This record gives sequence, C-alpha cells and structure tokens, in this order.
Amino acid sequence: MAESTNGAQQDARPTGRMTLERVNTPPAQTWNYLRANDITLTVPVHSRKGDVYFALPRLFEGVECGMGQAVTTWAESQAKDAHYVEVKAGEKRDEPIVAQEDTGVMVRAGAEATIVICTPAGAPTQDTTAALVRIIAERESRVHVLEFVCGGSEQRLDSVGIIAAEDARIDVRQFFLGAGTTAAGLAVALDGNRARLELTCRYLGREQDILDINHVVRQRGRNTRCDVRESGVLDGHAKKSLRATIDLVHGSSGSEGAELENVLILSDDVTNKTMPVILCDEDDVAGNHGASIGSVGPEQIQYLRDRGLSVQEAEELYVRALFDEALICAPTPQSRAAVLARATDVLGSEVANDLVEGLGLGDAEEV
Amino acid sequence: MSNQLLRVSGLSAGTEDKPILHDVSLAVGTGETHVLMGPNGAGKSTLGHVIMGDPAYQVTSGTIEFDGKGVTEDAADKRSLAGIFLSYQAPVEVPGVPLYSYLRTITQKRPELKMTARKFRARVGEIADQLDMGSSFLTRELNVGFSGGEKKKIEMLQLLLLRPKLAILDETDSGLDVDALSVVSRGIEAYRADCDGALLVITHNTRILERLNVDRTHVMVQGHLVAEGPASLIDSIDEHGFEQFEKASAIAGGDQA
Repeated sequence: MAESTNGAQQDARPTGRMTLERVNTPPAQTWNYLRANDITLTVPVHSRKGDVYFALPRLFEGVECGMGQAVTTWAESQAKDAHYVEVKAGEKRDEPIVAQEDTGVMVRAGAEATIVICTPAGAPTQDTTAALVRIIAERESRVHVLEFVCGGSEQRLDSVGIIAAEDARIDVRQFFLGAGTTAAGLAVALDGNRARLELTCRYLGREQDILDINHVVRQRGRNTRCDVRESGVLDGHAKKSLRATIDLVHGSSGSEGAELENVLILSDDVTNKTMPVILCDEDDVAGNHGASIGSVGPEQIQYLRDRGLSVQEAEELYVRALFDEALICAPTPQSRAAVLARATDVLGSEVANDLVEGLGLGDAEEV
Repeated sequence: MSNQLLRVSGLSAGTEDKPILHDVSLAVGTGETHVLMGPNGAGKSTLGHVIMGDPAYQVTSGTIEFDGKGVTEDAADKRSLAGIFLSYQAPVEVPGVPLYSYLRTITQKRPELKMTARKFRARVGEIADQLDMGSSFLTRELNVGFSGGEKKKIEMLQLLLLRPKLAILDETDSGLDVDALSVVSRGIEAYRADCDGALLVITHNTRILERLNVDRTHVMVQGHLVAEGPASLIDSIDEHGFEQFEKASAIAGGDQA
C-alpha cells in the first residue's frame, strides 16, 4: 500500500462565502415544477494563498462524483492537500481507510479495501464540513464504502465517485443521521463487464433537517448488476429530496438494475420528494424501481402493540433501529463515536449507552 | 381450579358489520393449559385477538378480566404489559426493524425483565440455542424473509423472553413441518417448565398437544362455545371430528329460532 498526504485540516475561519448552484443534479432532469432537480448551497471559502496543493493523480479527474463538478472544484480548492491511498494488487487491507477532505483511493486488481467517510462527532463546531472521495476499483477488486453523517457541522457535503472495472464488487452503506443540512451525492460507474454494486442508504430527518441525496449508477459494462435500497424515517419539519438514477448505457446488454425506497413518515409537516429514474439505451437489460411512502402500517402497529409498545414507542423503534444498524456497521472509533453522539442527541443517553453495551462495544474503547 | 387468571364472561364481539363471537364464557387458572378447538371459521382466532385487545374487533357485550382486573377497555399494549401474550398464526413482517432492536425494546419495557444489554444478549443466545436458531437472525429485519417455521420460532423466542402469565397460541402448529413442529413444541414445554405460565392453545390439530398436559378442552362452533371437558375430549374429537358439535350447535340454533 502506498499513502501520501499532509493531512491538513481546513482553517477555522473562512475568508468569505460562495454559492454553489445546481448541486446534486441527476443525469436527466424532470419534474421541474417540483423544483427538486438540484439544490443550491452556500459554502465558506478559505483563502489558500501561498499554499502548495498536492493534487491527486490525474487519473482521478475522470471520476464522476455524485454532487457534480461545482462541488468537486470547491472541495479541491478548500482542501490543503489531497489524500491518496493505493492498495496493491491482490492485497486484502484489513485496516479501514479513513477518508479526508479530498481523498483518492486506487484499489488495484484483486485487492480488497474498506473506506470510511465520517463526520466529526458531537455538536456542530463548524459551519460546513465536506468530503470529496474518488475511488478507482480495478478488475476483480472488492471495495466496501461506509459513510456516516452524524452532525458535527451545520452543513455537510459528501461527494463520492467510484469507477468499477471488470468483475469488481462494490458495496456502499450510507447512514445519513442528521442534523442540519446534509447534501450527499454518489456516482458509481460500472464500466467493466460483470461489475456489481450494492448500495444501502439509511437516513433520518427530524426537526428542521434538510436532506438532499443524489444517487447515480451508470451501467456501461455487459452483465453488470446494481441493487440500490434506500430507507429512512422522517419526522418534525424535515425536508428530504432523493434522486436515484440508474442509467443503462448503450452496450450494457445483460445488465440489471434495481432501486427501491421505503420512507416512513411520522409527521404531517415533513416534505418528502423521491425521484427515481431509469434511463435505458439498450435492449437486453432490466431496470426496476419501487417506492413505499407512508406511516407505519396498521398490521405492524398492532403486532408491536401486542408486544407491549405504544404507537409512539413503536415509531421510536424504527429510529432506534437505524442507530443499531449504524453502530453495527461502524468500523472505526471515530465513526462509532459520531454515531453514538448523534444517538445520544436523538434517543437520549440511556438508550445510547444501551446500544453500545448491547453491541459489546462498552469495554473496548472510549467513544 | 387454581386461582383464575383469565375470566371471559358473556363475551360477544365482531367486526363492524359481522358478529362473530356470541356470549362466550371461559376461565383459565394460573398455570393451567387449556385447548380451544373447533372447525375452520368457528371464531377461535377471533377470540384470541379479542382477548389481546385487537381494535379490529368490537366487544358488544361481556367482560374480560385478567389477573383480577378488568381489561375489556384496555389497549393491547397495556394487556401485553399485564402479562398476556398472543402468538400469531401468521406473524407480521416489520421491515426496517432488526430483530435485535425489537427484542431489546420490548424487553426493556417490562420492569421485571430489565437487564443489562450483556445479560440480555446472553439470554437471547440461550433461548436461540433451545430453539435451534443461528445467531445471524438477530441482525435481520423482524420476520422479513423468514420461512413460516422461522417465524414461529421467533414467536417462541419472544414467548420465552417475555415470560408472560398467559400465552395464547393461535394455531402455532399450522404450516410447520415435523422438525419445526418439534422445535416449537420444545419451546412450549420450556415455557411451561420455566415460567409456569398458563396456556390457551388454539388449534384444530391435535399433534401439538401430544406433549402437553391439558387441563381443559373447549370446543367452539360458529362463535359459540358448545362444549367443555377434560383432556379426554381431545381424543373424542380426534376420533369423531367436529361433526357431533356442529350438529348440536345447529339444533340449538334451531331451537333458539
């Protein structure tokens, strides 16, 4: 493995602000009247005068990132250094790679790596944090991406791009647990034949949270597969937009793509927008999408009541379940600390401690 | 009879447009095992759900007392916390909720069962071993993608974990193969042995009763309890079926008319 970075963090005080327009735009824009084709964000700008920037290898310039070029340009300009990691061919790297502001990971043929993207733990101490992560997965490699957005700033931007070569296997698990504004984009190009993606996205929006997600999967290779599953809970005055595009490009014969979203809405004041799109320019392909949006079903509620939970407790169970799953998946002390801090905020310290103890994490580390 | 745990008196209930249960009276003592039998569509499951407090059914007359208190007006969650457990014939799938989160939450709701998460995990592990269940099921969504037999095992797991005073088993044996039936029977035996709880077993199949010491047998036909007797009544039903009761019920219905 090769690794190079100066690991610099952003200066605390920005020298100005700028507006990023048309962020998280899907490949095919529609439903204009819903005004949901993109999001506009105001971000801080730090002066980098005099800094020497270590850029990623030029190969990474060809990686499409989910939030779009404006965010890529801004994030590159704000990071003091790029963080480049290379996992050698055939190597199975056990230690997770923790992504920084601008990170490029090259996973060579037959190698396996886990990449963790995580917000700082605790209450917001910064206006905006961001991660720009680009990954190139060579043939027969296996890449696991774990993404945790759990607060730590008023606004969070996560822009991720992945290119998968022949027989590469990519799995991505995203946990967007608030708070404030979360804008996240993921673009995955299944360029090689038989490349596969499994994407699981779990989210929580409550109070005044804004959640803006853009998923783009471009299936270019033959016999590629993608399975995208998003599910989450929305409460309070939360606003969520999800754009999910599966693009079955000309030449992707034999490929299959599926996308499914389940949204649980617990408040009348929630704004939920879901925009699934399947683009198809090939005959011999299959694309499916589905969505279920609503409150907890009466059968489920009755089952849970029969086991001693009130309606409110039954609904809270769905939120607890999100944190249980996030903690199970969190592979690093930092990611566990971030999830736990947010769980404490949402569920209270008693339940949060119970989550930690229940998963056997209590003695292992201070989180 | 030992102390009465459940007392159903003159209960009539049904859905909004259809009466199902008619003047049903039934008493189950602490630690007793009762069997409720009857042909399909007799109203057996409805009685189980009405005792549990399912709002899909409305009680038009009669009362339900549990552990010395009237519960007719109580919601299902209150009845559950009081110690009534209804095992579903077809357990409901709950996407988005892993089994671990669910079991932990319903256990922590009961002050008498509160325990540290570590002890809880150990307890769940013990029960899972008793029921021949692997450990990976804990991270799976509640009942989602489980086979019929696995779902019934999850019901038994909850029964043994929650240790209710009364367990109503609604056709727990239906759709099970021989091996799954054996595991479920073991679960019921363990409940009787460990918890000394009362059982009301709803079934029209006598195989699940082979390992149980039945105290009383009730027969329901067309929403009426038409017969009650000792365990030997089961043998009679095994031999002659429900026809004798259906005929008696039809005659009684004719007389009333």
